Amino acid sequence: MPDTSDILSLESLKVHFPIQGGLFDRVLGRSAGAVRAADGVDLNIGRGEIVALVGESGSGKTTVGRVITKLAQPTGGRLLFEGRDMTSAKGFSALRPYRRRVQMIFQDAYQALNPRHTVFDSVAEPLRSLRLVKNHAQLTERVSEALSAAGLNPPGDFFARFPHELSGGQRQRVVIAGALAVKPELIVADEPVSMLDVSIRAQILQVLVDLRAKHNMALLFITHDLPLAWLIADRIAVLYLGRLVEIGSADDITFNPRHPYTVALRNATPQIRSDASRFELPALQGEVPSAARVPKGCRFHPRCPLAFDRCKEEEPPAIEVGPQHMSACWLPTSGAKAGLSTPNLKSADHGSV
Amino acid sequence: MSESIVRYSSRSRARAIKSFLSNLLGHAGAQLGLLCLVFFLVLSAVPNILVGPLETVATATGDFLVPPSSQHLLGTDEVGRDVLNLVVHGARISLTIALLATVISLVVGTTVGITAGYYGGRVDVWLMRLTDFFFVMPSFVLALVITPVVLEVMGRGREILGFRPSLFVILVVIGITSWAFVARIVRSQTLSLKERTFIDRARVVGSSNLSIMVRHILPNLVPQIAANGALVVAGAIYVETSLSFLGLGDPLQPSWGTLLSLAQRAGAASTGAWWYLGAPGLCALAVSLSFVLVGNALDDTFNPRQRVIP
Ligand SMILES: Nc1ncnc2c1ncn2[C@@H]1O[C@H](COP(=O)(O)OP(=O)(O)O)[C@@H](O)[C@H]1O
Ligand code: SF4
Ligand SMILES: [Mg+2]
Repeated sequence: MPDTSDILSLESLKVHFPIQGGLFDRVLGRSAGAVRAADGVDLNIGRGEIVALVGESGSGKTTVGRVITKLAQPTGGRLLFEGRDMTSAKGFSALRPYRRRVQMIFQDAYQALNPRHTVFDSVAEPLRSLRLVKNHAQLTERVSEALSAAGLNPPGDFFARFPHELSGGQRQRVVIAGALAVKPELIVADEPVSMLDVSIRAQILQVLVDLRAKHNMALLFITHDLPLAWLIADRIAVLYLGRLVEIGSADDITFNPRHPYTVALRNATPQIRSDASRFELPALQGEVPSAARVPKGCRFHPRCPLAFDRCKEEEPPAIEVGPQHMSACWLPTSGAKAGLSTPNLKSADHGSV
Repeated sequence: MSESIVRYSSRSRARAIKSFLSNLLGHAGAQLGLLCLVFFLVLSAVPNILVGPLETVATATGDFLVPPSSQHLLGTDEVGRDVLNLVVHGARISLTIALLATVISLVVGTTVGITAGYYGGRVDVWLMRLTDFFFVMPSFVLALVITPVVLEVMGRGREILGFRPSLFVILVVIGITSWAFVARIVRSQTLSLKERTFIDRARVVGSSNLSIMVRHILPNLVPQIAANGALVVAGAIYVETSLSFLGLGDPLQPSWGTLLSLAQRAGAASTGAWWYLGAPGLCALAVSLSFVLVGNALDDTFNPRQRVIP
């Protein structure tokens, strides 16, 4: 029974991209396998809640965001919006009501704006196509309002500009203005500041935080940066190879992580690691494996310093490890302390992820 | 406030157009080509003012096959008509046919190319099969097959859109046989454009497929369409000339190709009437070359800085 207080829920969401096999495979009718970009993601977002989706590059964050914004079709699981199943909704007219309520902000704002459209056209596009205005005066008013809210003042000065005439931060503000012009209830922000100058990141984040404060807008904030996630989010979900390994309040995930992967992520971040930590771990070894070859058992086991036999065979389910805090690891139930007391772990030194 | 949008926007566009023109005119080839085209466009715009009405056998004033002289700058033909008069009037027919055929070809080619590239899958496969079919279809064979049918159906004397039937056939045949080239180029550009993030954003903000194709993809294709459009015109002039030379033209609305054909039949080559063959031939050559020059310059201007031109 879906919780109707959640605006959005994902239920064991899967996105598998088939791998185009060689001629040999096709002649034999053999499947070349699949890239498991999302591989059973369960996630709820409450009204007006800011949830951060954290993970290394290639962990499937963008794919999850694209499913929520109906840019990618899941191959399994369900996407529920206010309890209604949106998984198979298709076609722009059928999706129009959904689009009014769910918007997206992209990582690369320069790519996200049509180089031949003015700022006014770009921000007006959602209002026009979703039929939210009746006449040109209303359109101009909503566009101005949105540009102001996104921090482009005075808005009239930006109407006739083209993307190449704007700075990176201004472009991202235009994209944000377009998203918030329709007054959505959920915005998916895919690494919205990762390509921006450090000096303007805080301002852009402030715009997003203000939206929640003023309009109770929910936000799925996608990032690879744990401190950033802690700064902005109420809850943090940690994604590893297409699956959530830990989810909990921002403070719990940052200062009291339970999953070895989260601990490793945290330890790789100098700002946080000085804090009293629950347990020490050596830095992560090796690369993230390809989503085309997800390891059997716990998908983190080849890199996990605490892995034991069971990890190689059985995939751990998400287990409640505290209030509102889930972790998908065998350790909390089966001998975490034993693993932690292994002396060579303590002596090992740390590098970076 | 909406007035100020228009004002700002037109100023910004004016600036962009100005910088584009100055880039284009930086090419020596473009200058030469444009100069030549302007010259021929003037000829075809006001032929009556320049050389009087089209001369016919009845109104011919000169002797037969007279070499160029002060009275007949380009000599006369085998019935005593002034060749300059014929060539200037021929410019109008040749250019009109070529330009209209290009419009047909660009409209059909762009529509097919965008649709195939954007939708992909089965739509793409079938549209591209169709395109390949038209791509290899020889215009001569098509013209030879269609002409008698149209003449039979329409009757020789009737005019279609101001064209006598055989010219109309040439126009349609060129259009039909040249759009495939445009469709292929547009499709491949569309394939790469549709992967751009701004198309994703357009979807998220609720734009329909049609609006994405028309408002997002088409404007970004303008450089390719313009550059290749110029090449299509050059090809159309060439095909028109050849079809008319083969006798598919209309003697009452003579194009350059028709003149070449008449000259050939009058034995201009063997009797040494070089002016009769040379005048229309050089004109056709000059105009197609000009379009090629302009097309290449457009390509050069658009390509390296595609992203900065609004
Ligand atoms: N359209 C696609 N086709 C095939 N594989 C894809 C596609 N999109 C993403 N992937 C793969 O899915 C995995 C997750 O990608 P992505 O969601 O972009 O991760 P992230 O945003 O966390 O970096 C990667 O291995 C990526 O190569
Ligand atoms: S289940 Fe095993 S391998 Fe996976 S994170 Fe826990 S200890 Fe490591
Ligand atoms: Mg990504």
